Amino acid sequence: MPLEGTLVVLREERREDQKLFAELRNDLATQAWGQSLPPTYTEEMHVKRFEAMEFSYQRTSARLPIIHKETGEVAGFISYTDLEPRLSASIGLVVAKPFWGTRVGLDAQETLLRFLFSELGLRVVHLWTHSGNPRAVGLAEKSGFRVTARIREAVYKNGKLLDTLAMSLTRDEYYARHPEFADTLPDPVDLLRGA
Amino acid sequence: MGGRSFETERMALRALESEDASSLQLYLNDGAIRGRRYVPGSVRDVEPLSRSHVSAILEEWGKEKAGFTLGVLAKVSGRLIGHATCEWNWDPHCPSVSVVIAPSQQRAGYGSEVLRLLVEHLFLDTPAHTITGWIASWNDSALAFAAAFGFVECGRIPRAGLRDGDYYEHVLVELLHREWATGQGGHRAA
Repeated sequence: MPLEGTLVVLREERREDQKLFAELRNDLATQAWGQSLPPTYTEEMHVKRFEAMEFSYQRTSARLPIIHKETGEVAGFISYTDLEPRLSASIGLVVAKPFWGTRVGLDAQETLLRFLFSELGLRVVHLWTHSGNPRAVGLAEKSGFRVTARIREAVYKNGKLLDTLAMSLTRDEYYARHPEFADTLPDPVDLLRGA
Repeated sequence: MGGRSFETERMALRALESEDASSLQLYLNDGAIRGRRYVPGSVRDVEPLSRSHVSAILEEWGKEKAGFTLGVLAKVSGRLIGHATCEWNWDPHCPSVSVVIAPSQQRAGYGSEVLRLLVEHLFLDTPAHTITGWIASWNDSALAFAAAFGFVECGRIPRAGLRDGDYYEHVLVELLHREWATGQGGHRAA
């Protein structure tokens, strides 16, 4: 069963995706980093990183290309990192400019969140962004994330000092927003409290 | 590193060596610092650590490229009594710090001296603009310690882990260069 949303499918990474990934990394608007990187990343570098990935049952991260169902195009990628099994992970999203404003990013985010909460059984999902990226903040808020920490002036980008923002979405908050999915996984803390 | 000395009258920060493994193992396995050992992320922060675990920790610290971990040496005894880390994996603009003092040596002022040396190094010898720290929400003494130094809470990361049957949070604290400089009565190195 693929990770499928309304507009997108999230699939495994392939060698042919690496050209687009290099292009996204070289665009200051889609690097999605709290600091700017030189636009000197090549497809070959990305292929090398891709080929270095090894099979494991203990994966703590994944990067999933976002496939636009209507056109079959790769619209960007969404990832999770720092997986603490059955507890937490952080997500990241990069959408190629032609797909900005098309709801592809939101659909990809919702599709990944369903996987993280319903399949991986996480208790919380985090993401990091900065105050100079209101598009990312707004998109996260549409899925229920809220800002839980603001580190002042921790980012310098585009000639400005910006705040780092930590955003989180707990399992309770996710399922409260999605009554169509039943959460049958008991919370260990609730069990101890006899809830 | 700059020209500042990494020592005070009572303690010194020095490189950790493989010979430190037994001292390190002793205080890292003290139950009083369970969950606040600030060891590399690849090592869980709760179980008793074997000598090979500790050797792996030392090796990982030795490989740090964007930061450093130093041992805290008490001059009076010549013993290793803790470790301290500065790291800027993301950006030297916003490094983070952590200080661990062996429970038997706590409340003697060593932690404050170590933190002062680290903060002075970062603000006077590196491009650091904002220094951060991550503290578990149950760790009241560390929260008070950070606040007393001038760090302010800037938010929390929920459900950072489970402890004693409940979730805890990571409390993020920050210290801005200009606020530190003001608190210090100006840039003392100028």
